[in-house]
Amino acid sequence: MVPLFLSVKSATKVLTLSFIGIPYGGMKTAFIILCLLVATHSMGRPISYVGGHTIMANSGPQSDGVYWHYTPNINYSLGLDYQRDKISDESFSSARLTYLINRKNTAKSQRNLYLKTGVGLNDSDNHFYALTGDWETRRVFAGFSATQTSGIGYDMFEQTLKVGIAPYLGAYGDFHTWLMVETKKNDMDDDRITYPVLRFFKGGALMEVGYHKKTDWNLHLMYRF
Amino acid sequence: MKKILLLSLFLSSTALQAAHHGTHDMADMDSMGDMHSHEGHIHEQMVDGKELAVDPQRFDQFMIGIESNAVAVVSVQGMVCDFCARGIEKTFGKDKRVSKIDVDLASGKVLLAFPVAADIDKADIEKKILNNGLNTSTIQIVGR
Repeated sequence: MVPLFLSVKSATKVLTLSFIGIPYGGMKTAFIILCLLVATHSMGRPISYVGGHTIMANSGPQSDGVYWHYTPNINYSLGLDYQRDKISDESFSSARLTYLINRKNTAKSQRNLYLKTGVGLNDSDNHFYALTGDWETRRVFAGFSATQTSGIGYDMFEQTLKVGIAPYLGAYGDFHTWLMVETKKNDMDDDRITYPVLRFFKGGALMEVGYHKKTDWNLHLMYRF
Repeated sequence: MKKILLLSLFLSSTALQAAHHGTHDMADMDSMGDMHSHEGHIHEQMVDGKELAVDPQRFDQFMIGIESNAVAVVSVQGMVCDFCARGIEKTFGKDKRVSKIDVDLASGKVLLAFPVAADIDKADIEKKILNNGLNTSTIQIVGR
């Protein structure tokens, strides 16, 4: 079954216009629906507050998918995702677990280290393990990930690094913007790619969009409730 | 073309935020000029022998309409992101004892208003903050 997904380009255009022009109150429902339509393998905030639900959608060079997770405890979240693996051209569902290995809160910063894993519900040959971490203040962000992914007929190890800065410090409830740069490399491709990323969020909704001429658009949507 | 689109996204968001901040500040000045009650003010107030660690102007604004309430001033660690602090509003919003909530990212403070008859449980506040992945450094109660 081939899911009906919006293309990344059309979704980006819709969201750009929406974030700029449409009142926020009218965005929530549309945002959730859009998350469900734009599918990908996500990398956003992996653990929410206790009792919180998060729905994410990503579109990138490796896969498209949609991911839901629930946080029963501050130390872990459980979730399900559905993704289309562009490398193996397979679509499948996975169960996922994210575990908070370590967190350090200070008055002005937070640092996190997570272990993530997922396994295909119908075929355990589809699975991944990842170690991710981040450190941020209200002004600066730095994050990394190291992911081992196994799909039908391939194995891939990928490393990413992302840094960002907030050009202005918004108050709680404001529309927030981050300017970021992400660099990634995997062992299936000799080239390292580095590209700009814009992150926007307001309330419980977040959008991240990046572009590189080799991989085209990367889009990440998230809604927390 | 695609780089121009990314740049236009950034410029639009910055302009939108700048316009919002300008309007917001003027509205605050107008509202403060129309009233001046001493109830609810906290100029140079001490709590348990320590100076109250909250912006007086923000506190006064918070107390409008709830002057008789007691307020827990919670100093939170790790609260550096609006998106991550959303859970605080949701968590305390479900608590029927809490009449009003204010989250201040700049100072790392959460203000929780309780009706005068309500029991303020500091341990419960700390637990709720922890359930949001954050830590509490101090809780000061004003108005009790």
